[in-house]
Amino acid sequence: MPPFHPLKEAVLLNHTMLKVEHLCKIYPNGVQALEDVSFTISEGEFLVVIGLSGSGKSTLLRCINRLVEPTSGRIEWFGADVLSCRADQLGIIRRQIGMIFQQYNLVKRSLVITNVLTGRLGYVPLWVSLLGLWPKAERTRALNALERLGLADKASSRVDALSGGQQQRVGIARALMQEPKLIIADEPVASLDPVLAHSILGHLEELNREENIPILCSLHFLDLVHRYATRVIALKEGKLMFDGPARDINRVRFKEIYGEEAEDVHAAPVHA
Amino acid sequence: MFMAIARASGVRSVGRAVLLSILIPGLGQIYEGQRARGMGILLSVFITSLVVAWYGVWIWIVTPLVVWLWGVWDVARAEHRSIIVPTVTILLMSYAIGWRVAEINFSALTHNIDRAAVVLGPMVRPNLIEARAETQRAFVTIEVPCSENPPSGQRAYADLELTASAGCGQVGDVINVTGSGFWPEIESEIWWEDAIGEKLHLLEKGRIVKVETDAHGSFTSTVVIPQMRSGTGQEANLDEPLPERFVVIQKRPIGGYKITENGIRVANGILETLSLALVATTFALFGALPLGFLAARNLMDGSAASLTIYYGVRTVMSALRSIEPLIMAIVFVVIVGLGPFAGMLAIMIHSVAALGKLYSESIEAIDPGPINAIWATGARWSEVVRYGVMPQAMPSFISYTLYRWDINVRSSIIVGFVGGGGIGAWLFQWIVLADYRAVGASFVAIVLVVMALDYGSARLRERIV
Repeated sequence: MPPFHPLKEAVLLNHTMLKVEHLCKIYPNGVQALEDVSFTISEGEFLVVIGLSGSGKSTLLRCINRLVEPTSGRIEWFGADVLSCRADQLGIIRRQIGMIFQQYNLVKRSLVITNVLTGRLGYVPLWVSLLGLWPKAERTRALNALERLGLADKASSRVDALSGGQQQRVGIARALMQEPKLIIADEPVASLDPVLAHSILGHLEELNREENIPILCSLHFLDLVHRYATRVIALKEGKLMFDGPARDINRVRFKEIYGEEAEDVHAAPVHA
Repeated sequence: MFMAIARASGVRSVGRAVLLSILIPGLGQIYEGQRARGMGILLSVFITSLVVAWYGVWIWIVTPLVVWLWGVWDVARAEHRSIIVPTVTILLMSYAIGWRVAEINFSALTHNIDRAAVVLGPMVRPNLIEARAETQRAFVTIEVPCSENPPSGQRAYADLELTASAGCGQVGDVINVTGSGFWPEIESEIWWEDAIGEKLHLLEKGRIVKVETDAHGSFTSTVVIPQMRSGTGQEANLDEPLPERFVVIQKRPIGGYKITENGIRVANGILETLSLALVATTFALFGALPLGFLAARNLMDGSAASLTIYYGVRTVMSALRSIEPLIMAIVFVVIVGLGPFAGMLAIMIHSVAALGKLYSESIEAIDPGPINAIWATGARWSEVVRYGVMPQAMPSFISYTLYRWDINVRSSIIVGFVGGGGIGAWLFQWIVLADYRAVGASFVAIVLVVMALDYGSARLRERIV
């Protein structure tokens, strides 16, 4: 087994950032969600996962930081074996991977700033977080993240007072707090209006371009895929169907992935 | 054996199944592969027959017969039949036998109206408040039996003056007493008091003797000297002259009302009950919180070890919950003695288990999304609980705890009956002593407190959730 680099936060250039090999997931009820899925992701990519509902997109994204425990296969994070690492090492890998969810997954009764601060739980000592004695530096970091997403004035609102788009931006702020080396976004815009979808994906694209953070994102709408993806992988019934540049996803490919009855639905006019 | 042959032949015929069902209830279904259905029919017939035999209500032998026949009919039909017929038959039988066993007899409610009046009459005049009054007291000494130097039979202090027709007498002698200087036109109590201060109402034809003073504050009373020294033991010497007393007590209202002595006792009891329930609930809260987390499946399904803890905690809690606080109180009274502490322990332990379960259920009901999101930041278990679970579960924790306090107030009243302190302990004594005015008073207090609590906790819960 290679030395556990992420523990020292050392990024060795000769290691691929994320390498997924022969990943399988069979749920206890017998459903095979993933079957022999392999792919890699490197610096600076905006990798979009497409596929029908139930094709295994969510399972795949959640296997990477082991929110879902894969049945077999191998996941390497900067050369370290994610699936066999200890609990504390897993914590360190997880804090390096920001995650954004379709349902935002914020604690609705808590304040916005508290939700954003939870992004630092992998960094601060246990007693600090349990007592809620967040240092000033962390609070400033949280306020800066919110400001970057245009929510500076919402810091002390309760999350349930925010609109969907605002909540998703809080979700991104939480991910930013992790100083992520990768952002995984599981259908980040599926619950939002098309216009808001572009705003959210725009924020992700900005992070991708300006800070060189790779994005691994599942999307539903083909026009969004074409607009934002640098590379696309497609899943069908848990199997990898396609891995290539977004421009190669044409109507024929699209029907292969989504089935003959599928129609290409546009999320919204794309503002180029 | 027959079945084995039938199976081995590989042929399953409806006729054979019907025959089997006629022989033994449910056997046909088992033969057809509907094992649960067949066993159900067999057990129903067996158990209902036993019940009928046990209670000797032979008419209900109809029930197992109906179930048996239904089983035969059921197996003869290819499609799945509804089980409504046997279910209703069994329910009807259970109901009829239950009616008998419970000895339901509504006419008993009206048989003892006069006895009920003795109990209910005083209860509607609860002993809580009384008119404020002042009291004055006077006595004259009468020696029983007479010695050589009997007292004068006269006594005066301030304005009050009592004169007896004789200063001494035998038990049974008639004595006239006149009094003057008393408060006018007031019904006054008359007591006989022996040498050691034991008091006795004087009776005349079974009624308590009372005298009414006239407009000038005077009265005359005729009394028979009562036997006071009977039953005082071997030393009782009826021949030894001792000073006994004829006592007059007058009371008159001075305006306004005050809480009676009994009312104060009720108030103290209620206060004790409330604080007992409050302390028990608070302690239970701290005991139940960790248990609630350990008994929440969505937090504990991470590994085999944590699942073992989950099942262990669940089992212990449901065992504790099945023991009523009343029973626990009996045990704790033996251990720590009579009083509120025993009641508090009993209620606390029951509440730990009950609250633990409610807490765990509210944890299981929370939105799992934020929990996943917080795990994904690299947080530890305790941090997930602190930032993901607590904020979501807090409103129902508070609501359940308030509700439990509400329940605990009521159950601490019951616990008082077996020595667990509070108003219940007093109530039990008053019932035993047949002091139904005091019982009525505690009912009033209990109803008021429980209603106030009900209302208050409902309002609080509304605001939190």
